[in-house]
Amino acid sequence: MTGRPEAGQRLRRLLAVLTWLARVRRAPVAELADRFAMTPEDLVADLELAACCGLPPYTPDQLMEIIVDDEEVVADLGEDLARPRRLSAAEGFALAAAARAILATPGTQAEPDEGGALERALAKLDAALGAGTSDGRDNADSAAADVDEVAARGGEVLRVDLGDAPRLAELRTAVEEGRQLAVRYYSLSSDEESDRVIDPLELVAVEGRWYLDAYCHRADGMRRFRVDRLVEVSETGAPVDHAAPEPPPSAEVPAFVPGPDATVATVAVEPEGMWLVETVPTLRVSPRRDGRTEVDLAVASPVWFERLLLRLGPNAEVLGPPELVDTGRDAASRLLARYAEEAATG
Amino acid sequence: MVDRLERLTNLVLVLLRDGRPRSLREIADEVPGYPPEGEARRQAFERDKRTLREGGIVVSTAAVDGPDQFGYMIKPDDFYLPDLDLDPEEQAALNLAVAAVHLGEPTGRDALWRLGLPAPTGARPLAQLPALPALPVLWEAVRQRAVVSFGYRGEHRRVAPAVLRFRGGWWYLVGLDLDKDAARTFRVDRMDGLPEAGPQGSGELPVGFEPTTAIAEEPWRIGEGEPLPVDILVDAELSALVEQQLGSASVVERRPDDSVVLRLEVTNVDALRTWLFELGEHVVVLAPAEVRQVMLDWLEATAARPVKKGRARARVSAATPSR
Repeated sequence: MTGRPEAGQRLRRLLAVLTWLARVRRAPVAELADRFAMTPEDLVADLELAACCGLPPYTPDQLMEIIVDDEEVVADLGEDLARPRRLSAAEGFALAAAARAILATPGTQAEPDEGGALERALAKLDAALGAGTSDGRDNADSAAADVDEVAARGGEVLRVDLGDAPRLAELRTAVEEGRQLAVRYYSLSSDEESDRVIDPLELVAVEGRWYLDAYCHRADGMRRFRVDRLVEVSETGAPVDHAAPEPPPSAEVPAFVPGPDATVATVAVEPEGMWLVETVPTLRVSPRRDGRTEVDLAVASPVWFERLLLRLGPNAEVLGPPELVDTGRDAASRLLARYAEEAATG
Repeated sequence: MVDRLERLTNLVLVLLRDGRPRSLREIADEVPGYPPEGEARRQAFERDKRTLREGGIVVSTAAVDGPDQFGYMIKPDDFYLPDLDLDPEEQAALNLAVAAVHLGEPTGRDALWRLGLPAPTGARPLAQLPALPALPVLWEAVRQRAVVSFGYRGEHRRVAPAVLRFRGGWWYLVGLDLDKDAARTFRVDRMDGLPEAGPQGSGELPVGFEPTTAIAEEPWRIGEGEPLPVDILVDAELSALVEQQLGSASVVERRPDDSVVLRLEVTNVDALRTWLFELGEHVVVLAPAEVRQVMLDWLEATAARPVKKGRARARVSAATPSR
């Protein structure tokens, strides 16, 4: 199995290809490979193998009718294989969560009617999934009567709230209508407010926070702004004069690359502070003999690093470089001084 | 040697055929590629069953006549969905949703494949949600009103689930904690291992259970104690931003220097502390005394970390704020 996906994954994909072929009956090899994220060679190999599959006694009339040539696949697979197949719990959940996220975010549909279409699609899916996904069906035989009730609860049991941020609707309008904005932005990493003219291009919710991707005229490049840190927003009256860059081929988040000004800090973290590794991009993580974990991370901004160390508190010790070892202590001392200034009330 | 994919494909077609169970002996006669009768054959078949199962294909067991006593089949209802009958507009909308919302794994795309729908292409992502292995299990359990059990903060919990909810970057399960007989909210990423679901209907909720009242809006409201009113002072620099975030209704005092005092209802002081420190020196807790003390203790412990010899205070100037 060197370099090839596991048999289970190949089977899953082959069945997907067969379902599609059973419907369309004829498709160019290149298009099929593209649609199912395979190389044409792998696709042709798997289809040639499938053409030898069927039912006993495996005489030609009992094999799947698939003819593959250099350019095209022609298949006659019958009606059964064309039917939609039951989803696993993970797949059903992924579909439902995606659809619920869109439905809960007004104004995210490109066409006004598509919200309605998505709601209808989800209702049909909920109804079809009624008695459970393939994972839940081992003991579901006696439960068929509850199908309608389960389906009716689809919207109640799963809620995806991409979160609210001030001015979301206003920003969305600006993105859709291509209106240039003048904003005042509070940057956590520099602890400063700055005024910028930006071309708003995209609103995205990443793990619970809304961001505005925009061309920033001050920085002369694409920047990502946290929407809840936009202190003031107004229209300049001009249209945007930059377009969104092409989406990356795989819409994954790019790997973390430290900026040019970053310093690499080494921090020894107690077990209680290990959330650090899950929330901050790290360059190196290695256990120590004393039970703590040594973590290297890129520090692009001293203010950001201070606040991170405040959150880690007594659970972290900066080991280096020398100019950063006192960062947490100093930040805590300054904040203690603030507490001394502001007397307790109540 | 028959390619395993070929054996698996034939196995699926044979097990689906004419809706009757077949003994392992019959299966091995009909599907080429199994070892001769014996333990090796049994193991190869068990491995294939597991692979199918991982791919979401359920192989059922049923009694058969004859010496083998039981046999295997894929029930058509377990394999096929009733036709969804999606019109092109609905297909496009589902596609758009899957393209726009990323859950880490390409499972949404796999789902569209399985439904025989065209896969999404090219759309820009609108949202990215964390994918956790526990989520499908919990989703299934909520749909089926099945009691779920899992470890959480060192305790074993049994919960009648009501809602699975994403908010503020985290997935939560809201339900009735059966041992505490009270509504509770659990962070899914904090559950120990995979939760286990009981049979369908085992986790019915009492009439009138209202999950929305159990759903906390802010991180510092996710906890189990009585809510505690906490007053925070936000300086002029961040007062507008924080007021915008928490709503003007929480403002209890506006000071002449443009700083504001806001009152929060807090059930989780640790979460509050984390949130406050993200705002650095711009926020201090004024009351009550015990929460203020929690902050002071934490800061004192942080400030008191032993200073290594020879690196005294020479660098303080570099870390002093620019203002």
